[in-house]
Amino acid sequence: MDIGAQLLQAGNLMLTGMVGVFVFLSILIFAMRLLANFAAQFKEVAPSTTRSKTTRATSSQGVPQAHIAAISAAVAAYRKNY
Amino acid sequence: MEGLLNLWQATGLANFTVPALCMMAVGCGLLYLAIAKGFEPLLLVPIGFGAILTNIPVAGLADPGGLLYYVYYIGIDSGVFPLLIFMGVGAMTDFSALIANPKMLLLGAAAQFGIFATLFGAILLNYIPGFEFTLQDASAIAIIGGADGPTAIFLASKLAPELLGAIAVAAYSYMALVPIIQPPIMKALTTQEERQIAMPQLRHVSKTEKILFPLAVLGLTILFLPAATPLVGMFCLGNLMKECGVVDRLSKTAQNELINITTIFLGLAVGSKLAADQFLTVETLGILALGAVAFGIGTATGVLMAKTMNKFSDTPINPLVGAAGVSAVPMAARVVNKVGLESNPHNFLLMHAMGPNVAGVLGSAVAAGILLALVG
Repeated sequence: MDIGAQLLQAGNLMLTGMVGVFVFLSILIFAMRLLANFAAQFKEVAPSTTRSKTTRATSSQGVPQAHIAAISAAVAAYRKNY
Repeated sequence: MEGLLNLWQATGLANFTVPALCMMAVGCGLLYLAIAKGFEPLLLVPIGFGAILTNIPVAGLADPGGLLYYVYYIGIDSGVFPLLIFMGVGAMTDFSALIANPKMLLLGAAAQFGIFATLFGAILLNYIPGFEFTLQDASAIAIIGGADGPTAIFLASKLAPELLGAIAVAAYSYMALVPIIQPPIMKALTTQEERQIAMPQLRHVSKTEKILFPLAVLGLTILFLPAATPLVGMFCLGNLMKECGVVDRLSKTAQNELINITTIFLGLAVGSKLAADQFLTVETLGILALGAVAFGIGTATGVLMAKTMNKFSDTPINPLVGAAGVSAVPMAARVVNKVGLESNPHNFLLMHAMGPNVAGVLGSAVAAGILLALVG
């Protein structure tokens, strides 16, 4: 094949390729916008679960505080003795 | 006496050829760049050593029956190694910056012009006596502009296996040279004011979005470009394993042990293609030159696209982030951050540049899929 014909093919490939990449990634942008909206709907359901989690966290935080007090008392006692 | 002569004939000294010695020197050069200069050491150490092993006379490591022959045959000829690496890269990639600002995909697309312009350039080289690149060869060389090692090796193994060694060495060498190649182009195409533009903080991205993203990318690839599914599919699998949070062990294996083991053998197999008769040709010089051109054009079109987007966008876009569209994750994004900081010491562009950077990985995989579909 002569170089002129090859160049023509390469030019065609350049054009098709760039159009292909842009079209594909543009569709992906559109899909990602849809995805963001879809995921935003999920967030509305989420608060109830997060709230229950946070309440559990605060209730569970109370117990460690007692532990912390006990541990610090023990550390203080240890330091006093040694 | 005859025994002594036979023994002499079995030594390396009696069998060395000048081209093989040259290639061993090239291997040593790659080892020097990796060890002393820190250029892509993870790949250039096995590639350089592979080049030395391949050119050992008599041993025939890269001939049928030799270790390197089998490693190449099993891992690269089949296309398996680059795909396993791509899975690991997917497991290491965080798409948050891109999901938060999807427009950045356009920068990843624009930077792929480096690939297609180089394809044209490779065919133009045929006017010079000594060059006879087919359209397949030109496509495999052009993918160097995608700045993505595994993609370049995958495409070269499919379209032009005889050029694979030179293409892989060029791809990884130029990726290591990103901090030297890109800044002059970025500075030449932007003004001081443009380089100082601060970009708004990115929004928070939910876990649901991060999990759905790889599935959406895969879905679109299946629908519109099945030829790219080997690359995109493995990449998405790695990313899904990372983001779903229920297979941490698999995700860690993909991004550590598996990718490391594969890298050793991939490097050795690429090195096995650095045989004198395949590498010491005028075509290799052409490939090295075209690779640099591809990188330069990709960087330039990324920056120009970002400049254009900045003019029409509601939110400001610093044109420098366009340069990160040439993948080379995360080196290109770091270079953008560094050049941005030189103009404005309070302007951290790293997270903003990660968007086009990972978009570039997707873009080059898509470009590879298109080339495979049209030329393969």
